[in-house]
Amino acid sequence: MTRRAKILTLILLGILAAGGIYLRVLARRVSVRPPDHGEEMARTRLSEEILQSAAGPSQTATLYFPNYEQGTLITETRTLTWAESDTDRIRQVLLAHIEGPRQGASSALPASAAIRAVFLTADGTAYLDLSAQTLADFKPGIASECLAVYAIVDSLAANIPAVKRVKILVEGREVDTLDGHADLSGFYVPDLRPLSRAS
Amino acid sequence: MSPSPTILHPRRRLLLPAGAILAGMLILLWPAHTLRSDNFIVYMPSSHAVIQLNLVGDVKYLPLVPVLNAVGKVGAIHEKRDSFRVWFGETQIELRRDERQVRVGDSRLLLAQPVRNPGGQWLVPLEFLTRALPQLTRQPIVYQVGTNRIFVGDVGPVTFSVRLDPTANGARLTIQFSEKVDLHTAASNGKWYLYPEPRPVQPLEPEYHFENPYVSDLQFDDQDGIPKLILTPAAGALNFYPTLTDGGRVLLADVVKPPPLAPSQVPGGEQQPATTAGAMPGTTPGAPPGPEAPPGATGPPLPVIVLDAAHGGAEAGARGRDGVLEKDLVAQLVARVRVGLLATRKYRVLLTRAGDVDPTFEQREVAANVARAAVFLSFHAGNLGVTTPRVVVFSYRPSAEPGAEAGGKETALLVPWTEIYRLHQDRSQALAAALQQKFALIAGVTADKPATAPIRALRSIDAPSVAIEVGSLSPDEDSGALTDANFQGQISSAVVAGIEAFRGGVS
Repeated sequence: MTRRAKILTLILLGILAAGGIYLRVLARRVSVRPPDHGEEMARTRLSEEILQSAAGPSQTATLYFPNYEQGTLITETRTLTWAESDTDRIRQVLLAHIEGPRQGASSALPASAAIRAVFLTADGTAYLDLSAQTLADFKPGIASECLAVYAIVDSLAANIPAVKRVKILVEGREVDTLDGHADLSGFYVPDLRPLSRAS
Repeated sequence: MSPSPTILHPRRRLLLPAGAILAGMLILLWPAHTLRSDNFIVYMPSSHAVIQLNLVGDVKYLPLVPVLNAVGKVGAIHEKRDSFRVWFGETQIELRRDERQVRVGDSRLLLAQPVRNPGGQWLVPLEFLTRALPQLTRQPIVYQVGTNRIFVGDVGPVTFSVRLDPTANGARLTIQFSEKVDLHTAASNGKWYLYPEPRPVQPLEPEYHFENPYVSDLQFDDQDGIPKLILTPAAGALNFYPTLTDGGRVLLADVVKPPPLAPSQVPGGEQQPATTAGAMPGTTPGAPPGPEAPPGATGPPLPVIVLDAAHGGAEAGARGRDGVLEKDLVAQLVARVRVGLLATRKYRVLLTRAGDVDPTFEQREVAANVARAAVFLSFHAGNLGVTTPRVVVFSYRPSAEPGAEAGGKETALLVPWTEIYRLHQDRSQALAAALQQKFALIAGVTADKPATAPIRALRSIDAPSVAIEVGSLSPDEDSGALTDANFQGQISSAVVAGIEAFRGGVS
């Protein structure tokens, strides 16, 4: 081995040793915690499978997804095999939202979203109970939150005539806002111009 | 033969005065390097410490050992000429003279300003408190940049907002505290002193100036570690009647001109004991003054502009890919707008949050409504798509029209608190339009048309109110121009111009 090759080998060994030490330091600093909503996710997936196996009429569903660039909602249609009850249909629409758009729009509900419960009262109020984790993964901001909420509300009202208005709960409780912006203290009625820009 | 006069070379003649000027400047400037200034107060749940603040250049420094003694127990100290090591519990802190890097336990902090050691005292910049103290004390730290106080642990400082209204024979000061307080008062040197107890106070503004013939200004001071409000009357021989109401959350203080001395005008034996600035007052109030006079009667006070920086504390809001947080970004914007508004000398400015804390929506609303805000602006940053930088101005629109059970729009006196926005919807939209017009003039910034949306921060504000969202700040994007001083300066100038235009001033 020439002297030059020896020097190069020593330099390489030095770099490798430094890299190893650095990795150990990094490993000490970074701790990876498994997501603590595993059970909730599993429950959602289970209900998803049950709903998808439901044999009912196949119909075209109209879904609304946010277009953050324009501050509007984009319509997308897809064929759904509807469940029997309106409550299950609400779940189906929400699951379609969690699955996300197929034609280039943005998601209203994040992939990590979990629907804890759904209720539909006689006066046409749909109560959607979301998990806390769902909120953490929303696109942040006034425009994003409002578009996301209206995308869900409008999609439900467009496909399930019994739904007249929507109330969103988090972990079974009323909350002030989705993530600091959209006012969730009241009910939401469908509105296809969620940000109603002045002309 | 007479001796010929000594003629100095012109350069030598200049040397003496130049040397004198240089020496004078050195004497003048040298002490400024380590001038002592105010006190810094460290508040803890059951105690507080007063530490002398040091100015090095124009940077504020604190002596490390007194700070550590205030929040815990200092162990062994090893000092060398250029380095200093101190044990705090099980953590070793190591400083080096004139270096920005500080070692705290296993981690190294890079401070914006270097450690100093004038006269053998080891000084750390204030930044050290927010960077190192949470790690050392393992307790939350609340510190508002620019102030001389810090809150360590579960202190929960009280904040307050102030309003002054003219009355028939004086003025009424309303101080709304964020929490229940006890109060005792004193008078000295022609001023009234109010001591809220038992918790420390974090003022939204250090002082309030009033254009009022009875009250000149209200200052907050805690330089001796005792929080107090100092009320300065604008004239002598005025009576002062403070009353705590609403379970200790609201102080109503009437500053009243005594009635004329003519015997026929003095109600025999019925007059309440007066408290003037020259005497020790009691906290028992006297008779309240008569009904409020129209604002024009004694000259209207300056309109209050309320600036609301969204989120704060543990609620960071949106986060950019590069780690920029919405709570910090909007605090910067609010600080710039505040400076711009105060420079006009036409407004009083009230901030809904002081430092890195997260008041509830109700606390923010109370601050704005008690101050009778002329304009309320809530600042946000969030996802606005890929076109950036971008600004959208929102006014409130309900998610569902309020029911008819409240009486509808006709019965304005019975408007529920949650629908107070209804009284200002048109003005809020006009404010949004005025601001948008100014934003549209900024080159390189996309200013969308004003929008309406159900935004919680605006719902219960009893004033024309809008939310200003800048973007995009989202995990998929870098914050880019949003943190740029030029962009922020343009946005704040546009906000000031927009308010001027909205209120009919010169833009």
